[in-house]
Amino acid sequence: MIAQNLKEEVYNCIKCGICLTPCPVYKQRLMEVASPRGKVQLIRNIIEGKLDLSANFMDILFTCLLCETCTVNCPSGLQVDNLMKGMRAEVIEKFGLPGKKKFLFELLTGQRLLPFYLFWGRILRNSLLPLLPGKGRVGTIPYQRLPRLSRQTFLEKVPEVISVPQRRGRVLYFTGCATNYLDEGIGEATIETLVRLGIEVVIPRKQMCCGLPVFLAGAKKMALNNIQRNIALFNRQDVEAVIVECATCGSALKKEYPHLLREMGENTEGAEALREKVVDVSQYLLRLDFKELLRPLPGRVTYHDPCHLARSQGVKDEPRDLLKQIPALEFAEMAGADVCCGGGGSFQWEHPDIAEGITAKKIESIEKTEANFVATGCPGCRLQIFGNLKKDGIKVMHPIQLIARSLKNLPPPSF
Amino acid sequence: MLSKDILKEFEAIVGKDRIRTSKEDLLSYAYDAYVEEYIPEAVLFPKSAPEVSQIMKVASKNRIFVTPRGAGSGLAACGLAKQGGVVLCFTMMNRILEISKPNRYAIVEPGVVVSEFQQEVEKIGLFYPPDPGSAAVATMGGTVAMNAGGMRGIKYGVTRDYLLGLEAVLPSGEIIQTGSLTTKDVTGYDLTRLLCGSEGTLAVVTRITVRLLPKPKAKRTLQAIYNSIDQAGNTVAKIVEEGIIPATLELMDKTIIKALEDYAHLGLPLDAEAVLVLEVDGDPEAVEKQAGLVADFCRGQGARDVHLSQSEKESEQLWMARRAAFGAVARMRPTCMIEDATVPVSFLAQAIKEVLAIAQRNQVQIAVLAHAGDGNLHPLILCDLRDKEEMKRVEKAMDEIVDLAMSMGGVLSGEHGIGIAKAKYLSRQLSPQALALMRTIKKTLDPQGILNPGSFLECAQ
Repeated sequence: MIAQNLKEEVYNCIKCGICLTPCPVYKQRLMEVASPRGKVQLIRNIIEGKLDLSANFMDILFTCLLCETCTVNCPSGLQVDNLMKGMRAEVIEKFGLPGKKKFLFELLTGQRLLPFYLFWGRILRNSLLPLLPGKGRVGTIPYQRLPRLSRQTFLEKVPEVISVPQRRGRVLYFTGCATNYLDEGIGEATIETLVRLGIEVVIPRKQMCCGLPVFLAGAKKMALNNIQRNIALFNRQDVEAVIVECATCGSALKKEYPHLLREMGENTEGAEALREKVVDVSQYLLRLDFKELLRPLPGRVTYHDPCHLARSQGVKDEPRDLLKQIPALEFAEMAGADVCCGGGGSFQWEHPDIAEGITAKKIESIEKTEANFVATGCPGCRLQIFGNLKKDGIKVMHPIQLIARSLKNLPPPSF
Repeated sequence: MLSKDILKEFEAIVGKDRIRTSKEDLLSYAYDAYVEEYIPEAVLFPKSAPEVSQIMKVASKNRIFVTPRGAGSGLAACGLAKQGGVVLCFTMMNRILEISKPNRYAIVEPGVVVSEFQQEVEKIGLFYPPDPGSAAVATMGGTVAMNAGGMRGIKYGVTRDYLLGLEAVLPSGEIIQTGSLTTKDVTGYDLTRLLCGSEGTLAVVTRITVRLLPKPKAKRTLQAIYNSIDQAGNTVAKIVEEGIIPATLELMDKTIIKALEDYAHLGLPLDAEAVLVLEVDGDPEAVEKQAGLVADFCRGQGARDVHLSQSEKESEQLWMARRAAFGAVARMRPTCMIEDATVPVSFLAQAIKEVLAIAQRNQVQIAVLAHAGDGNLHPLILCDLRDKEEMKRVEKAMDEIVDLAMSMGGVLSGEHGIGIAKAKYLSRQLSPQALALMRTIKKTLDPQGILNPGSFLECAQ
C-alpha cells in the first residue's frame, strides 16, 4: 500500500487550485480530473476508503505527463509527482501493466531478450518503416519521423576507456538508451568534446537502462535490478563526476534512485553517494573554461527546457550559458521555454488528442523565434518536437552536438 | 436523483464529452478551496448561452438543482452542489470575444482565467485592475458572481466597479442583457450590480463586459519592515489618513513571512514581526517621487528598514509569493481556515491586536495577513480538520472575530463571500427587513429555488 509519508502528504493540499492553470494537461482538458488538485483529491478519497482503485481512476492517473510543473509551483510544497508515482505503483499492482508497456519494459530490464529483438528490429523495423503509409502516425508522430535503430549499439561500438594524453579530469559516462540504440551522434559529440578538453572518459559497458520509464509507469520492482546494477557500476571513487547527457537518465540517477530505494525499503547508501557525483553534461562543461576553443557557428538557436532537467534537476541556466558561448550563434529565447512539449514518454501515444494541443503551442513558440536549431537535452522532447515541426529547415539537436560542431569548426549542417 | 431520461436530455444539449457522471468526476467537483464537500449528481460543461438556456429550461421543468461554478478557487462553497443536482462548470466557455482599445472595454466569456485576461489587455496597453489573490486560477465568471476584491482595492476598487454589462440566463431559461458598453448608463435598475456578488443564486452569467483603464506606465514595490505589528497597522491608518493612495497595501505577520520565504526563497526578513508590502503606480516621475515619500513615511512611523525592489522581476516574485500565501501557510498545518472580516481602516491596528488576543485565548494558531489599505483582514487559522477538539476551538475563535468586526462597524466578509462559511452570521449584519427584501428578490428571479440551493439566504438564521 501507498507509503505513510505520502498518505499524510495529501492532507497538505489546501485545494487552492494554483496548480490548475500551469498544468499542460488541465489546460487542454479543462476538467478537474485532469488537474493535479483533482488527482490529489481522488487519491485522498482512495486513502479514506471513499473510492475504489477503479479502471477509470487508473486512466485518470496516467493522464499526466509527470512534467512536475505542479510540484515546483505548489505553495504548500506538495511532492505531487511522488504521490502520482507512488499511486501508479499501487494501481499497476492491482491491474498489471498494459501489454505493450509490459513487453517494452521486459526488453529494457531483461538481458537475454534485448539482443534478439535488436537484431530483428534493425532488419525489419528499419527497412519496413519507409514502406508504411505516409500519413500514419504513432501518437502525434508520423511514421516517417520515427527514429531508426542504430546498426550497432553505442556501447558495443566505443571502447570502455578513452584515454587522453594530458589528463585534466576523469569521468564516467552514462549513455542512456536513446544514445545507445538510436542516436549515436550524441554519444560521439559528448566523447569528442570531453576528450578534446582533456577529460578521460570511462563508459561501463554493462550499464543498463536507467529504468525511469519502467518505474514511472508504476513497475517499480521490474526496475530494481537495473537500478542496483547501475549504482554498483557508477558509484566509484576514482572519477570526479558521472556525466549524463539525457535529462531523463539524469533525473533517475540524481533524484529518483534514492527516493525509490527508500520507498522500497532497500539500502540507499550507494544511491546517495552516486547522486552527489551525477552532473548533466552542460553543468560539467561549464566548469571547464574553453570559450577560446569555440569557433563561429553562424545561425540562430533556441532552447527547450526538458521537464526532467529544468524541474527534476533544477538545471536551466547551464545549457543556455553554454550555447551563448558559441561565437556567431545567436541565442533566441522562445516563449514558454520551460513548458512541457507534450511528449511525456509514452503519454503522447496514449493520449495523442491531449498531446497534440500541448505540442502545437510548443512548435508555435519555436517557429516564432525563426531559429535554425532547437537544442534540448532530452530524447523524448527531441522526438516530440521533430515529429511535429511544421516548417522545414529547423534542426533538432542536443546542445552538446552544437558545442562539438563549434569545437571542430565544422560548417553548420545542411538542411 | 437525476433520472436517466433527464441525463439524456442534458447530453443532447452539450454532447457526450461535456457531461460527466463517473464517481471520479463527481468527487472531483465536490470541493473548492473551502473545507466542506458536496458531491454533485452530474457535471455539465456548457459552451454557449443557448446551451445554458436549454439546460435551465430542462432544470426548471423538472425542478432540478443547478449550481454554477468556475475554477473552484472559492472560499465559501458557493460553487458546490450543496443539495445535489447539477454543477454547471464554465471552464470550457473561455473565449475573450473583444477587446476595444478606442472604447476601453472588453467582452469575455465567464470561463476566462482572470490573470490570462489581464495579460491579454496589458499587451495592448490596457489594464483590468481587479486582482484577487487567486487571479491565476479564478475565472471571470466566478469573480463576477462573488464580486471579488483583491490587492488593488485601496486604489482601484473591486470587480463591481469595472462591470459595464452582463448577459445572463435566468433559472427559467430566459436570456437577459444588462448594462451597456458605455461607462455612463442610468437606464432602469442596475441589474448588473445586482447579479454581481449574488453568489450564483439569481442568474447564470454567460457573458461579461468590463471597463478597462490605461495601463500605468510605471510601478514600484516597497517592503517596509517592522519590529512590531502594531506599528505596521498604525502606519496603514496613517497612510490612508494622509491621503497617500498606493495601488496595493498589504500587511503580513511573521508567520506569513516565514511561510512565503519557505515557499519562494526571496530573502524576506525572518526576524521581523510584520512587513508592509506596497506598490505605487502611475507616471514614472510621479512613481519615483511617491515611492520616496512612502518610504520616508513608513520610516517615520517606526519601520526599521524600507526596501525598494530593484527590478520588475524582484517585484513580480514578491507578488507571486503573496498570491500563494493561502497555500504556502499549508506547509505548517494541513487545514487553513481563512477569515475575511473587514473593518474601517482606522480600526485596523486595534483589530489585529484583538485577533491575536482571540488566538491566544482560544489556543489556536492564527497568522495575520491583510489587504490592509481596505481594512480587509485575512486571519489565517491554521489547524487540522481531522482534530475535532481543535476545530471546536477554531469555530469559537471565528465567532469571536465576527463579534469583533461587528463591534467596530465592519462587515462579515470583505470579498470571499458568505456561502455556507458565514451564513449563520448573516443576521448579525443584515436587518430582518433587508433579509426579507433579499428573499423577495430571490423569489422573483428564481421562484422554484433551483439555482444554487443551500446558499446564504436559506442558511441564514
